[in-house]
Amino acid sequence: MADRRDAAALPVYRGHGVADAEDQSERKFIERLAQRDERAFNELVELYEARVFRLLLRMLGRRDEAEDMAQEVFVQIFKAVGTFRGDSKLSTWIYRVSVNLCKNRMKYLSRRHSDGEDELEPVAERAALDQAKGVTFGDIAQPDRLVEGYQIERVVQRCIAELDPDFREVLILRDLEDLSYEELSEITGLPDGTVKSRLHRARSMLKSSIERKMGEKIR
Amino acid sequence: MTEPGPDETAIAEQPADADESVRSMLRGALREEEPPPNVLAGVQKRIRERSRGKFYADGWSTAKHPPLNTYLVTSLLMLAVLAISYMLLSPLVGSPEPVRNQPAPVQVLPR
Repeated sequence: MADRRDAAALPVYRGHGVADAEDQSERKFIERLAQRDERAFNELVELYEARVFRLLLRMLGRRDEAEDMAQEVFVQIFKAVGTFRGDSKLSTWIYRVSVNLCKNRMKYLSRRHSDGEDELEPVAERAALDQAKGVTFGDIAQPDRLVEGYQIERVVQRCIAELDPDFREVLILRDLEDLSYEELSEITGLPDGTVKSRLHRARSMLKSSIERKMGEKIR
Repeated sequence: MTEPGPDETAIAEQPADADESVRSMLRGALREEEPPPNVLAGVQKRIRERSRGKFYADGWSTAKHPPLNTYLVTSLLMLAVLAISYMLLSPLVGSPEPVRNQPAPVQVLPR
């Protein structure tokens, strides 16, 4: 949906020089933002709020925290947009601001030992891990399978929450937000190779953690 | 946290089957269930408070869509009121009183 809104927000150019025209359009938009054009900023918020919120929710795991953080991200963007030099795409810069603020918040929350998540239910009778792939509440018709799917989801969510924020960050940006390695590199400030190895390690750690909690191997 | 050595950086970009399984589980567990909230009003409020009213101080800039119809209708209504007032009041206006330009007679007193 966000991508559709992206496309709708910028003027549509057809034919030759589409990329140039889009770049020019984004430059003009950024100029308006730098001049503290409130209407341009409203457009920016409407354009990116869903993506920023989704990213923060996945990073923080709590909806109230994610909503509060999303508002703070846009306030910081409003303050700092004048310093944006246009070296990267605007969306990449927004992701970078979001991730950095989010990691700061996570450190703060961990210091406070803030843990509002519910305790996991016992997983004595659980579904096989094969059933976890893409299991959704909507897919499950029978109540027993609903509970099993729910428990597997909670295990995966808990394992993600236990991951180190640096690993969680690359995992979410790549596997859930579908960003390219180049974008990941720009957001994290790490070289491409390090991003790839960190991603690989993040997946391995998550896999081991899930297997440990569920007591069976992921195939 | 320790970063892996350079030999580990040559990991293939294509995820292995296990990586794909993890990815699939991730997508299943962290999918969106509820629509994201609208944060614009909250953002505007925070900016207004922190800038002490310098930004987003008026209804025009904080409105998601400016109330164009309200402004248009108000303008038209004011024009109509002016026109009606003019039509009602113009017949009451009389002709102006003529101004006497001749000087008043001078009385010469005897010595």
